[in-house]
Amino acid sequence: MNVIEIKNLTKYYGKSRGIIDVSFNVAEGEIFGFIGPNGAGKSTAIRTLLALIYPTSGSAAIFGKDCIKYAPEIAKEVGYLPSEVFYYEKMKVIDLLNYAASFYKKDCRKRIKELAEIMDLDLKRRIDDLSFGNKKKVGIVQGLLHEPKLIILDEPTSGLDPLMQQKFFDLLLAENQKGATILLSSHVLSEVQRLCSRVAIIKEGKIIRLEKISDLTEHNYKKIKIKTKEQIEKDYFDLGGTNKLEVEGQKVSFLFKGDLNLILKKIADVEILNIWIEEPSLEEIFIHYYEKES
Amino acid sequence: MSMNIFRYELKAYRKSAIIWACAMTLLAVVYIFLFKGLGSDIENFQAFLNNLPEVIKKGFNILVDSISTLEGFYSFVFSFVLLCGAIQAMNLGTDIVSKEVRAKTADFLLTKPVSRINILTSKLLAALSALVITNSIYLGLTVLTAVAVVEAFNLKIFFLISLTMFFVQLIFLALGFLISVMAGKIESVISVSLSTVFGFYILGSLGSFMGEARIRYFSPFRYFDAAYIIKHAAYETSFVVIGIVFIIAALAGSCLIYLKKDIQAV
Repeated sequence: MNVIEIKNLTKYYGKSRGIIDVSFNVAEGEIFGFIGPNGAGKSTAIRTLLALIYPTSGSAAIFGKDCIKYAPEIAKEVGYLPSEVFYYEKMKVIDLLNYAASFYKKDCRKRIKELAEIMDLDLKRRIDDLSFGNKKKVGIVQGLLHEPKLIILDEPTSGLDPLMQQKFFDLLLAENQKGATILLSSHVLSEVQRLCSRVAIIKEGKIIRLEKISDLTEHNYKKIKIKTKEQIEKDYFDLGGTNKLEVEGQKVSFLFKGDLNLILKKIADVEILNIWIEEPSLEEIFIHYYEKES
Repeated sequence: MSMNIFRYELKAYRKSAIIWACAMTLLAVVYIFLFKGLGSDIENFQAFLNNLPEVIKKGFNILVDSISTLEGFYSFVFSFVLLCGAIQAMNLGTDIVSKEVRAKTADFLLTKPVSRINILTSKLLAALSALVITNSIYLGLTVLTAVAVVEAFNLKIFFLISLTMFFVQLIFLALGFLISVMAGKIESVISVSLSTVFGFYILGSLGSFMGEARIRYFSPFRYFDAAYIIKHAAYETSFVVIGIVFIIAALAGSCLIYLKKDIQAV
């Protein structure tokens, strides 16, 4: 079953482009990544899903229901963490969380305590005394306190230190284990890589690629670095499937996609001092792909 | 309506509603005591006022004929109380919706399982309750003071004049609502509300100065003419109707705009 179904979603702000003809589905239990640079339209897509803005054309459904028409009903099972969190400044953290909880027809007190403990959040402080990172923690607790079936995160990790980021990711994975579907938007590809099983790559308002993370990283590319004994011809490794070939003295590096036996034979023919074969980061593939598109 | 939003909003405005009520009550009570203190000197005072130029009397709502009664004397200070009340209501109406945009909390509220119409209704009812609190305190204390201090006066007329504040406040509340849903982001509520309220106040006074009766229709401050109320112990039906029509239209318009509005990212 698909938790999110987006069909030909288009949004213009007056004449300026938001998103154009975006379509993708997110299956139940999936952790889905949504990547692209700032201004590509990630937030526009997410805000439409949340019925904060209305689409110019196309439609989106969550839990099989139209996300605009049934927004209040859908919201019962959705947790949202915006990239920048803002709350009623004069409130105490606990009062804000209780206010947030009062919108859901369940007792969230225990969950608030648990989450605050995990995220190391002081519930007695006033919102306006909190640092950016601590406000973000309030946002995380606020988004998860009603144990939503769908968690939507828009650039979630900005402002969190690496330790907190880790705790937060563990928390998300635990929620996912319990059955929650997660939609995560980010321009930091490593975090998408760490969490997601599938990604949609968005550029200038359009989805340019929809793929499994495993396909992107494992099956497509190897990142190969070699240190040779002698300097080699610049185009020695320039065969089909090689990308981003860089030769700098004895150091050669490139991305390879294709039959690994071919490239290994090629490597075996030169005398080498050292070799590194790695999974390329999504960033490297992504930037390469982006360049190709433009 | 959502009780939790209603409770939250009412709590946020309760204190200011009480403070406004106290300030306005103080103003009125001082005048009631002043009236009592003047005693029989009121006739000399009346003679003095009679010599004032006609424009000033009209512009400042001085009802020379009835100034020797509490109702007439009170209606002079009441025009300032009304001004305060209008500012309070306009502030409230403008702030209660626009603060979500200003404090960037709209995302928080609008991603909760409540419909937009529900949010707006809850906020409207909370604002309305705040005004009811203010008016109850004001009416209760001034009427009580009047009864205790002044022996003979027309309670019904006194009450009718005082009650006009609630109507005028409702008009400004609705106007504030409409302005705040139409505006993208209001940086300073007080500057919006003060300029609007004083604009209408001056417009109303200008109408009186110039003797232009039609201007009355454009200033809520002139919808309830004290001289008329004192004379007839009633409101002018046409203005009551205009007021109600405006309130309904402004609120319905606010809802329609708010339902269709894109909530922009911060």
